[in-house]
Amino acid sequence: MRAPVCLAVLLPWAAAAADFRFPEAQTLLRNRCLGCHTGKAGAGGFDLARFKTQDSLATDPRAWNRVVARVRNGEMPPQNAPALTIDERKALTGWVESTLHAAACSDGIQPLRAPFRRLNRAEYAASVRDLFNIHINAGHALPADGAGGEGFDNAAETLFLSPIHAEKYLDAAKQALEYALSEPRARVRFLIAEPGPELNAEAAARKVLAAFLPRAFRRPVRGAEIDPYLTLFQAAQKRGDSYDASIAFALQGVLVSPQFLFRVEPRPTQPGIQLVDHYSMASRLSYFLWGTMPDAELFDLAANSLLHDPNVLDNQVARMLRDQKSVEFAEAFVEQWLGTRELGRDIKPDAKLFPEFYEDEVRSGMRYEPILFFREVLMNNEPLTHLLDADYTVASNKLARFYGFDSKGIRQQPVRFALPEGHRRGGLLGMSAILAVSSLPHRTSPVLRGKWVLNSILGTPPPPPPPNVPELKEEAHAGEAPKTLRERLMQHRQNPACASCHKTIDPVGFGLENYDVIGRWREQDAGKPIDAKGELPDGTVFNGPAELKKTLLAQKDVFLRNLTSKMLGYALGRGLTLEDSCTVDAIVAKLNQNEVRAQTLVAEIVRSVPFRYRPGAPPDRKTPTQPAPKAQSQKEQTR
Amino acid sequence: MTTRRFPISRRTLLRGAGVALGLPWLDAMTPRATASAPAGKAPVRMAALYMANGVHPEMWTPKTTGRDFELSPTLEPLAKFKNDLLVLTNLWNQGSKGGDGHYVKISGWLTCTTVNKTLGVDLNCNGVSMDQVAARRIGGQTPLPSLELATAPVSTGVDTNVGYTRVYGAHIAWAGPTSPLAREINPRFVYERLFRAGAPQAESAKQDLLLLDRVLGDAKQLRGQLGVEDRHRIDEYLSGVRSLEQRLERAAQPQKSEWKPRAPLDPAAKPEGIPREHQEHVRLMFDMIAMAFQTDTTRIATFMFANEVSNQNFSFLEGVKGGHHDQSHHQKDPDKLRAYQLINRWHVEQYGYLMDKLAAMKEGDSTVLENSMIMLGAGIRDGDRHDPHNLPIVIGGRAGGRLATGQHLSYTEDTPLANLYVSMLDAFGTPVEQFADSTGKLPGVLA
Repeated sequence: MRAPVCLAVLLPWAAAAADFRFPEAQTLLRNRCLGCHTGKAGAGGFDLARFKTQDSLATDPRAWNRVVARVRNGEMPPQNAPALTIDERKALTGWVESTLHAAACSDGIQPLRAPFRRLNRAEYAASVRDLFNIHINAGHALPADGAGGEGFDNAAETLFLSPIHAEKYLDAAKQALEYALSEPRARVRFLIAEPGPELNAEAAARKVLAAFLPRAFRRPVRGAEIDPYLTLFQAAQKRGDSYDASIAFALQGVLVSPQFLFRVEPRPTQPGIQLVDHYSMASRLSYFLWGTMPDAELFDLAANSLLHDPNVLDNQVARMLRDQKSVEFAEAFVEQWLGTRELGRDIKPDAKLFPEFYEDEVRSGMRYEPILFFREVLMNNEPLTHLLDADYTVASNKLARFYGFDSKGIRQQPVRFALPEGHRRGGLLGMSAILAVSSLPHRTSPVLRGKWVLNSILGTPPPPPPPNVPELKEEAHAGEAPKTLRERLMQHRQNPACASCHKTIDPVGFGLENYDVIGRWREQDAGKPIDAKGELPDGTVFNGPAELKKTLLAQKDVFLRNLTSKMLGYALGRGLTLEDSCTVDAIVAKLNQNEVRAQTLVAEIVRSVPFRYRPGAPPDRKTPTQPAPKAQSQKEQTR
Repeated sequence: MTTRRFPISRRTLLRGAGVALGLPWLDAMTPRATASAPAGKAPVRMAALYMANGVHPEMWTPKTTGRDFELSPTLEPLAKFKNDLLVLTNLWNQGSKGGDGHYVKISGWLTCTTVNKTLGVDLNCNGVSMDQVAARRIGGQTPLPSLELATAPVSTGVDTNVGYTRVYGAHIAWAGPTSPLAREINPRFVYERLFRAGAPQAESAKQDLLLLDRVLGDAKQLRGQLGVEDRHRIDEYLSGVRSLEQRLERAAQPQKSEWKPRAPLDPAAKPEGIPREHQEHVRLMFDMIAMAFQTDTTRIATFMFANEVSNQNFSFLEGVKGGHHDQSHHQKDPDKLRAYQLINRWHVEQYGYLMDKLAAMKEGDSTVLENSMIMLGAGIRDGDRHDPHNLPIVIGGRAGGRLATGQHLSYTEDTPLANLYVSMLDAFGTPVEQFADSTGKLPGVLA
């Protein structure tokens, strides 16, 4: 096998070809774009003529990001003008991106505003659970949340609210309180005072609320903020409710308050970037690594103003990952990153052809394998490359047997399991959940699997097929001379428009052909031996999953960059911008200095500027330019 | 900022500056005399049922037009309802022309606008869906302004291949440009919601109102702390709270409604949960729509058989193997086309099931079906081409005699779909001058 030179035809930023620099870009833009996009009346309001140097691109990154998107999708030049070749598109977009990237990173990393967002369904349920120490899923009736940004359902931009949410929150609050009052271990958590000879009901209620509100709102609460909830308590008392029921009524009010339902961070009052306050930091940490509200230790650290200290943060990361609650992080992150959440939803292997998938214990073993494996890598601070190849997995007895391994010593609970000699597994690519989620219900598809690897592992999704090109035909027409799938794919690739992407997509998928739809190993398909050879455009040749994995491992940095981007997007709860790519660069560099250890990734994200900082207050609108720091401080004093 | 005490000062609060400003669809909930049906006459109901992935084009459109049209192979299961049908040919949705793949087509199906291309930031459909235009006007006359249903949760992740968030692929109802309406997929929850909405108890309604007052108090305070760019989120929540509040107020002080529904909600019809079989799931959701219409819990419903690009496995149909989206990219392969058509036909059969159900619900001398208009359609025609020309659209039911059913109407090529919506809103009693790119009413549709 040849050492792979570059799978990086689609590698972001690095894609700027060595022989495509400013003069080449200038020539291409002049010949192909400037004709329409010139002057104030330039097409689409875009005047290309105002960019005279490479540096000037950075004066309008928004416009150039649009250029990249439209050129990459083949929307520009428009249909009536000659199209750019795929290579020209790649060269131009690569050049623009690397230019913008360099400019964005040159003046230091800047944090973005943390967008205001509500708790998503899972965060809501976990927060209610931890507030009351009850084990019911209070969010079960809420609508599922869609995903935005880097592909996660905690992204602020897609966490919209419908009228149905208000109804559901109200119901869920009632159910949670009803349950909490009936559970002794929950009662002691929140019902910390009861009326007695020394304490009247109202004073007791105030005590309960004074302890509960800061936990529910995840910040200190002023006395006056308790009053309106006490009013609810009083209203319930007035109509004759018991003390317990009256407290429950007031707490229902807390659970439907936007102060609980939304992640609120105080607005900055001063200009210039600054560390977020300690309580916001506690929430940022806990919703990132646990998917729930902060625990007592995090609240304590916030109260003692210790959450600005990077060493404290490192210790918390280690502690939080060890905690059982980090399974929720692993589950939410992995299932959405890898798309395995769709398994059993939209993506279902055919029940008649693959009844094994429908054995509950096998299927749940499959579903949890990537999640628990990922958590194992994290908890043990293993190299992240284990995700691509490892000598163990995390399996239940049924799953181990499904893979054809001796399951002696394993029970129903999934455990870390050393793979036996000649296992043909190891790493995400050998896991059933992943192989099934990238298959059709009735057969494997090298195209889907190849696309899955490019997208999920390398973070280089292929562009959509150009318009007016027939979709790839993977199946034979009736009556047509039978051809193998590989032959048909090769035929399809004779069309240059298809070949430009499929020459990268298909071989990767073929490398996984030894796995059937639900991930079982096979040497034959329909009586014919499996051909798992692939050749990438750069001449890299591999045969079968083991060699494919080596090819991917040689692209470790591309994989790490993708994983880092995904996790940073998850941690921040928003889509990443060009500015964030500087943070990603810095983290990947740190990873490489630390043997690509898993906890380094999490710790570096937590230590990063966008995670710990926020931008300052916007400049005063009355003053046209940003006031000098001195002027500002005087202004502060006069307040 | 000081924290104010809020006893029961909801009115004062709502009059407070700012709150209402951010809520363009708030007055949606206010009943308007002009829109209500004449006393004693059954109201018109409206549903839009969305099929993912288009249809086999040659098997959908009837070969002949007019009153004596011949049903096409795909529409054939509707034979017994031929006189209640309007089959419409050559409508297109110009707004959904651009963009890659499916997402633009589905999320603009009822808005006739072009959605922003985005993975999330600036999510915007640039319009309001036609069902919500109707809900704004008459939604306040029923316990629920409208009902949004589906069978699958919004799909995981974003589609980096084409650059859209999959939120678009799961939403046809838009209360506003940035407010898609979340769908309920569990029939049991739908039932419970209909039940609660339809028969609230005055005492619990009063308690809930106190809680909602508290929400409004906190929300208003919070709103003042937020930057302009974040306020729309809190406004969304406020709007939901406010519409719930109005419903509860009506429950606490029952007024005599102009229309007395002919049937109460049947407690025996409470579903268990989400059934394993897809067909049963769809039918339970249709039962809920029928029940909601019959009991006048709402008059407006939207339903998605599946999210767009769904690869739902239809191998439960004899002769079909593989997923829906995969079959829809048939590339003229006869086997795939056959399977694709069987899947389309199955959708039509389920539509027939709903028609049957509504037809069996007597309403005076009439039936609920007679008083409804149930649209079935898709945002693309041929699944292999992602093309919003000549969309597959049928309407069943006469909207209380307002629709000239029993016809196949074929228009000049590229007649705006929005024209149909203008006609439908007219038949519904909520007329509009213009809807998105409409150029007028669709001739021949109204009786």
